Amino acid sequence: MAAGAARAVPWQRVPAGDDAVSVAERAALGTSARLVVWPPENLGVACGVVDDVLAALDRQASRFRPDSELSWLNAAGGGLFLLGDGLAEAIAVALAAARWTGGLTDPTVADALVSLGYDRDFAVIDEDSEPLGAAVPAPGWPLVRLDGPLLRLPRGIRLDLGATAKGLGADRAVRAVMSATGEHGGALVSLGGDIAVAGTPPLDGWPVTVAEEPDPDGAPCGQLVRLAAGAVATSSVTVRRWQRGGAALHHIVDPRTGRPADGPWRTVTVAAATCADANAASTAAIVAGATAEDWLVATGLPARLTGHDGRVRGLNCWPGPEVAGGPIPVPAGSRVYAGGPR
Amino acid sequence: MDLSSRDPARRESLRHVRQMSNWTAAFLIAGTGTAAVALAHQAAQAAAAAAPAAGTAAGATGTSAGATGTSAGAGPRVTHSVATTTASGVTVTTTTRTVNGKTVVTRVRHAPAGGDN
Repeated sequence: MAAGAARAVPWQRVPAGDDAVSVAERAALGTSARLVVWPPENLGVACGVVDDVLAALDRQASRFRPDSELSWLNAAGGGLFLLGDGLAEAIAVALAAARWTGGLTDPTVADALVSLGYDRDFAVIDEDSEPLGAAVPAPGWPLVRLDGPLLRLPRGIRLDLGATAKGLGADRAVRAVMSATGEHGGALVSLGGDIAVAGTPPLDGWPVTVAEEPDPDGAPCGQLVRLAAGAVATSSVTVRRWQRGGAALHHIVDPRTGRPADGPWRTVTVAAATCADANAASTAAIVAGATAEDWLVATGLPARLTGHDGRVRGLNCWPGPEVAGGPIPVPAGSRVYAGGPR
Repeated sequence: MDLSSRDPARRESLRHVRQMSNWTAAFLIAGTGTAAVALAHQAAQAAAAAAPAAGTAAGATGTSAGATGTSAGAGPRVTHSVATTTASGVTVTTTTRTVNGKTVVTRVRHAPAGGDN
């Protein structure tokens, strides 16, 4: 733990515009992490514990790090394994998400991603260097059996925890911050735009912007909302795109087909009790395609969907655009992560 | 499995993820099952004691107590956006400064540098 923290990229303080909170950012997990706390003097302690959480998660669950526990597991060729607590929890959350979403997210999708060329850090994917191979549908999460720390992984199945791990990391981090600060004040942790909050929120909630991407000229865009508890996460097919065999690909794969999801929604934002829930639900909605609205309505989770034609749809009391800073009514209770922030 | 590996990272992995024989697994599964029964019994008693707190999944609130057990109202007033939720793997840095009495908001997109985990 200490070694991982020692290698961590330093946090950079970010002007917050409000003296009541402190904000810091750093690169992490192939994206960036943002930490916001109040009272401001909690920032130093909070940065340290978030470093530890991120280092541990990377060591446990990264598919791109050859010395991670997950990489070792995937290379072992199947069998019965006794897992460390962290990886066991990460796989349990991924399997719970798969069960909840009816397989719209599926941790056995790793080989589908590799077949599409997403087998290395996104920054070094070769553009169109090879033809697109045959589709590799996910073998199916029910084949993976986890009983506490004991994992039975059939031969030929490799795992990818991309639909839940970043959200889980935000949940773990924000919980660790509150524990380290004696549950005093409040905290927000964002990992690549997947956001979890805990503790006592600012008056009316944490002000958070919901956006697909900023405009090319850097102009402000998106919707301002308020998050008093829980989490919010966004999935989109507009980023992490590459070409292979002349086909435009992206990183959200439909486990049923082994091909990138091609539904009518390009970006989905979901709020939930935990970031693991929100992360799984937003990914599942992209994969669900034409049935995304029905599935999200059934979950009761507030959601914002943006179609390829630019139309925006709010579900389950997602705040309307006419009220700047409208509160997100986050239902209590997690479907995938019992250890989430409280 | 090469337990004599000199690679520290590999040794670390082996400490956390250890492949087992079927006999070892069978004993562990049996032990886990017994423990699960005992814990389930205790959990049922605890759930009965906490019955009034159960069934909160239907409750939803915007900014007040009840949303995932967090209270609101005692925190400071924060007027500027402090974070952006956006496409997976991309983070938008939002900075807000006051220049000559005017609020200036700047957003910068961070390109992903590695894997989206």
